[in-house]
Amino acid sequence: MLGLQPGSSTVVPTSAPVGHRFEPYDSNGGSIAAVCGKDFCIIASDTRQSTGYSIQTRYKPKVFRLNDKATLATNGFAADAEAMVSRIRQRLEWYRHSHGRSMPLHAIARMISTILYGKRFFPYYVYNILGGLDEEGKGAVYSFDPVGSYEREFCRAAGAAQSLIQPFLDNQIMFKNQHSTPEHTVPKPGEMSLPDVLKIVMDSFTSATERHIEVGDGLEMFVVRTPPSAQGEAIGAASVDLKAMGGVEAVGGEDEQEEGAVMVIRRELKKD
Amino acid sequence: MNYLPGQTWSSQPAQHHHQFASASYNTDPSAHTSQPIVTGTSVIAIRFKDGVMMATDTLASYGSLARFMDIKRIEKVGENTILGASGDMSDWQYVQHTLDKLMLREQNENDGHILSPSQIYAYLARVMYNRRSKMDPIWNSFVLAGVDPKDGSPFLGYVDLLGTTYSASTIATGFGLHLAQPLLRKAVEGREDQIEEEEAKRILEECMKVLFYRDARSLNRFVIATVTKEGSKISEPYSVPTSWGFAEMLRGYGPQTQ
Amino acid sequence: MSDITTLNGGSCIAFKGKNCVAIACDLRLGNQALTVACNRDKVFKITDKTYLGMTGLASDVDTLRSAFRYRLNMYRMKEEREIEPETFAHLVSSTLYEKRFGPYFIEPIIAGLNSNNEPFIAAADLIGCLNFAKDFVVTGTASDKLFGMAEGLWEPDLGPEELFESISQALLGALERDALSGWGAIVRVITPDKVIERTLQSRQD
Repeated sequence: MLGLQPGSSTVVPTSAPVGHRFEPYDSNGGSIAAVCGKDFCIIASDTRQSTGYSIQTRYKPKVFRLNDKATLATNGFAADAEAMVSRIRQRLEWYRHSHGRSMPLHAIARMISTILYGKRFFPYYVYNILGGLDEEGKGAVYSFDPVGSYEREFCRAAGAAQSLIQPFLDNQIMFKNQHSTPEHTVPKPGEMSLPDVLKIVMDSFTSATERHIEVGDGLEMFVVRTPPSAQGEAIGAASVDLKAMGGVEAVGGEDEQEEGAVMVIRRELKKD
Repeated sequence: MNYLPGQTWSSQPAQHHHQFASASYNTDPSAHTSQPIVTGTSVIAIRFKDGVMMATDTLASYGSLARFMDIKRIEKVGENTILGASGDMSDWQYVQHTLDKLMLREQNENDGHILSPSQIYAYLARVMYNRRSKMDPIWNSFVLAGVDPKDGSPFLGYVDLLGTTYSASTIATGFGLHLAQPLLRKAVEGREDQIEEEEAKRILEECMKVLFYRDARSLNRFVIATVTKEGSKISEPYSVPTSWGFAEMLRGYGPQTQ
Repeated sequence: MSDITTLNGGSCIAFKGKNCVAIACDLRLGNQALTVACNRDKVFKITDKTYLGMTGLASDVDTLRSAFRYRLNMYRMKEEREIEPETFAHLVSSTLYEKRFGPYFIEPIIAGLNSNNEPFIAAADLIGCLNFAKDFVVTGTASDKLFGMAEGLWEPDLGPEELFESISQALLGALERDALSGWGAIVRVITPDKVIERTLQSRQD
């Protein structure tokens, strides 16, 4: 539809063109969270992928093992997340070829930041949480925004149910609003045992599943720790027998090939 | 204009052809924006005991006009993979050429290796994602199905114009997402390894019938393609019997009341 | 951000316990990002054992507070008895639905003990769709955070002191992640023989 503006001799369009501009992004729902302890880190996600109100699949992993000491959780636009993870994996491979060792966690964090900022003007619509062990073998969590701002933390939730999970973790992991009494001392953040943290992560996701439609179907919890075999006497997180929990799959490292360095625990979540 | 999840076309084609001719829209050089013109509707596919099965009708519509009644929307890619397409039919034919070239290149290597379904899927997903990243999408939703010739494992994957990918034991695109997917899930989920070829065929035929009843851009003339470890076959187009008895008493609306 | 339901900010939550209920709210009154006051109680006494919490547009909260006072007085005069919490929930619902096509921008929650001292909680949306929950109800700008906290912290059959602790933790946890709620909180635990009212200290940011 073209219209002539009064008093004007040139043809001026009076309506915008019909039809829609291509929208290159989508939001695929789901939620992720990571918590670290003294000598371990847990990185978790649900396994549902959805668009709008329709569930595309009940099993599409959002957490990716990068090496024996680093695991990355992604959330947002699934296609961007996959493209980004394959770029990160390629960079990690190059690093191994040139340095003869795996990239340390803090360096992976900085690299992810620069990769994200490299697409500042056509961003990867992905929220990332990187979890693993730092160079001292301590648990570490790094969280990112889609354009590369990042910080190291004890715990972080992101995705569709961030607003449900994060305050709960603040309370149960960071012990916010909890005060020591003569009878009961509140522990410091990041000093909880592996089984206790696992319970809180599971509760977080069952709660989120209950109240958020985009969260559900399955839960995958990756546990990163110094494997029991490498220490001789197993202490701390390494002494926890995860295999006894059931639904546990051991993921051997792709580079160092360490059995039990990264393990994944799978649980069912409600499917409605 | 909004489109539903998984629906990659609209029923209003090229309303503004004349506008492009006379006015200077789309001066933005980065706007390769296209829209689907000749479109195919749903693809539905399921896993079953011996492999995977897929169905599409043979219609290619031009808006609401049933323009081409004998279009192939499932094609073989090599011997162990089939690909079904909904959305823009010219983009679909371009993708066929792209994959034909890929398969030819791989065959010319003559290294004894043939691409498995998951490898073709990975390639197709990269093509789709790269084009979306250029803001020049390939306007289709694809379902790729196959059986790995080496280990006999079945594969069923989806990829669309955004590069979004997923695997599941039942997949549907377009209208099928709303009408057929719930029926497919009910019939298949949890029974993937029990369903015989005959039952799988019955499930898909039932869904194609439901789609024909309610999807205005569909046709009661469809093909069913099957992949097992023995290889792939695509049926000749055929129809299923329908019954319109329920409409006997319907007189329509407005003046036509009795 | 010219959404009038989030103009003033604020949140409320109620927990059901064993022979008791708790209802709590924050104290902030804001004008978008600016905090105007930090003594804005959002929970009102209806009867000795029934309380009403309202969040949303502060002026509508005031309007409805007086509307409910009027209707309660009429109820008392006609019936010569105190209103039951469940009856009051229906009164709230029908009052809100009267303005179905030009609603008050508030979302209420109700907590109380009925004449048999059975605990009762309910919530409604801004046009009076009632939700009789068995466990907890939440409302306000921090509602999603409150859902997350409450879903994790609530458990059945808590006594008054345990109920106080868990509702306080749920509220404080949610307030810290909501920019539009906070600046102190008030918790009320309603038991058959008394109402325990405590003001909570919280972050002032």
